[in-house]
Amino acid sequence: MIELEKVDKAYARPGAAPVEALRDVSLGIGRGELIAIVGASGSGKSTLLNVLGLLDVPTRGAYRLDGADVSALDPEAQARLRNERIGFVFQAFRLLPRASALENVELPLLYSDRPRTNGLARAALEGVGLADRVHHRPAELSGGQQQRVAIARALVNGPDLLLADEPTGNLDLRSALEILAIFQRLQADGRTIVVVTHDAAVAAHCGRIARLEVGRIVSDAPVSAPRDAAAALRDLPLDIAAQPAQASQAGREAP
Amino acid sequence: MKTLPLLKGSLRTLAQHKVRSFFVTLGCLVGVAALTWVVAIGRGAERKILTTVRQNVGASAIIVASGGGLMAGGARTDAGRLTADEVQAIADALPAVEIWEPLQTLDEAPVRRGEATALTRVVGSSERGERAWGRGVTRGEWFDAPAVARSARVALIGETTARELFGAEDPVGAEILVGNVPLRVVGVLEPFGTDAHGMDRDAELVVPISTLMRRIMNVDSLAGAKLLVADPDRVEETAVEVRRMLRERHALPPERADDFHLITPAQIERMVGRARAVLFVFLPLVAAVALLAGGAVAASLMLLSVAERRGEIGLRRAVGARARDIALQIVLETAAMTLLGGAAGAALGCAGALAIAGKFGLDVAAPWGAALLGLALSTAIGVAAGAIPARRAAALHPVEALR
Ligand SMILES: Nc1ncnc2c1ncn2[C@@H]1O[C@H](COP(=O)(O)OP(=O)(O)OP(=O)(O)O)[C@@H](O)[C@H]1O
Ligand SMILES: [Mg+2]
Repeated sequence: MIELEKVDKAYARPGAAPVEALRDVSLGIGRGELIAIVGASGSGKSTLLNVLGLLDVPTRGAYRLDGADVSALDPEAQARLRNERIGFVFQAFRLLPRASALENVELPLLYSDRPRTNGLARAALEGVGLADRVHHRPAELSGGQQQRVAIARALVNGPDLLLADEPTGNLDLRSALEILAIFQRLQADGRTIVVVTHDAAVAAHCGRIARLEVGRIVSDAPVSAPRDAAAALRDLPLDIAAQPAQASQAGREAP
Repeated sequence: MKTLPLLKGSLRTLAQHKVRSFFVTLGCLVGVAALTWVVAIGRGAERKILTTVRQNVGASAIIVASGGGLMAGGARTDAGRLTADEVQAIADALPAVEIWEPLQTLDEAPVRRGEATALTRVVGSSERGERAWGRGVTRGEWFDAPAVARSARVALIGETTARELFGAEDPVGAEILVGNVPLRVVGVLEPFGTDAHGMDRDAELVVPISTLMRRIMNVDSLAGAKLLVADPDRVEETAVEVRRMLRERHALPPERADDFHLITPAQIERMVGRARAVLFVFLPLVAAVALLAGGAVAASLMLLSVAERRGEIGLRRAVGARARDIALQIVLETAAMTLLGGAAGAALGCAGALAIAGKFGLDVAAPWGAALLGLALSTAIGVAAGAIPARRAAALHPVEALR
């Protein structure tokens, strides 16, 4: 579904050498894959995700979505694609603080050309297990719940590509597992999901892991037996779940 | 994109930034209130002035005032005297003059009737007063020429004075004292109301001009005269003639200024025009300045708002908003603020106009036009003020905005 071919991304800096955030990145992602992009801080993970999400354009190289070169599209057409085909989940949730969960989820529908959007936002919230929180404001929700609202927002327009930048970085183990369980379920539904993480335990739930180092892909391999987040959740003792543990530490202990 | 929910979002943003919205709203409020108020009051005042002028002077009258200088200048020591005889001679010599009416008024005279007293204006008039002023009597009769000739002790009474002296009783036939001159009430004047100077024209007695001059005031010259010209088109040329003849009669050498003063409809129109210029040019200018100030405040506050809400803008771009969707949102928000101010201002202006109108007896029509103009102006200013912040918001790079 996604094809990056020899993509470079350089950030120009006035009066200094440009930062080459991506170098010669070629990457193919098939429909229904759940792929993790890992790498050190500054290795270009977010840059890659922004290119995939049409938020940023590569300096060189081609980006094909279902065979069509989209990096050359005009900004309006790219906005349409972002609205209809791509869902974004950010590390910092990025919910509008004064709007309810429902209104936050409705945001992409505002910019949609679809004639009928009634009930979609509510259904999306139900899909992430927040049917009873629709009128809560972000401040009245836990971190995990806020991130699930953000996921519902990313999914509300029924995109086939979901891009998540450190979606569990701010969450405790249980919340992180809940998010991963949602991703695995979405993958089973045939959606394509790209998760940026520096957390090996999170990556272990994905079917494939690509590693970036200073803007280059240095390894890209399938995971032989991805962990099952739903099963890990069921086995999770309640007291541990209550502690804000690091997903990485606890994740490694999980079977 | 859906404009309605976007507008809802804009309104919510306004509600969130109450202080900020208030200041933007204030400029437009003041501007539109001033505009609406001015137009409403201006229209009412203009109508009032014009009807009063029409009633007092008419479209085809020349007023001759004794004494030189301006109308409001008051009597001067070297003021030429104006006698009834010379005005009569001039009126006789000029066929264009249909009738004339002497002008002499005692501003405040004590009037008694038994125990009841009142202060009232006493106006001298000829037997032609009814025609000359376009104001008749509702009861009794206007005094006739013989009554004027013999300085008859008769009076016509205005409704206010009648009420003060007689209560509900019929004043016609009763005797009153002006100073110590006994007069018989022979008629009740048609109600007039308040004139352009705010004077109650029903607190008035009208007596024969000769009675006023000889018996009450003890003067032998007129304060002025009103000459009615049959053909309105000949008023100005007749005024020129009147001036020439008066100068001749007063034996004024060419280097001397007039010792009388002529007021013609053209002059009055110029005066009303000057008043109108103040109302309709100067005050709307103030309104425009307030509106522009509101617009400037709106623009700068929205720039601040855009800078503050970079993250939100980036998020909207990420979920599919086009640059112009963002621009539209900012413009809507700005226009919503200014429109809100405009609406409040229009309401305030109308309320203020009605309050003033009630106080001064002005006939104020609901200034719908001005209110609508104000709303349109404040919306336009919102759109204009929103343009720069909107452009800046739309130009934000999504990734930069999200950082
Ligand atoms: N707008 C920019 N201008 C200049 N340099 C930039 C810009 N954005 C990113 N960079 C640089 O590009 C490189 C890659 O950044 P990127 O944000 O993709 O890293 P990352 O892998 O997501 O790191 P982290 O794990 O810390 O989020 C970094 O060296 C960063 O400093
Ligand atoms: Mg990053």
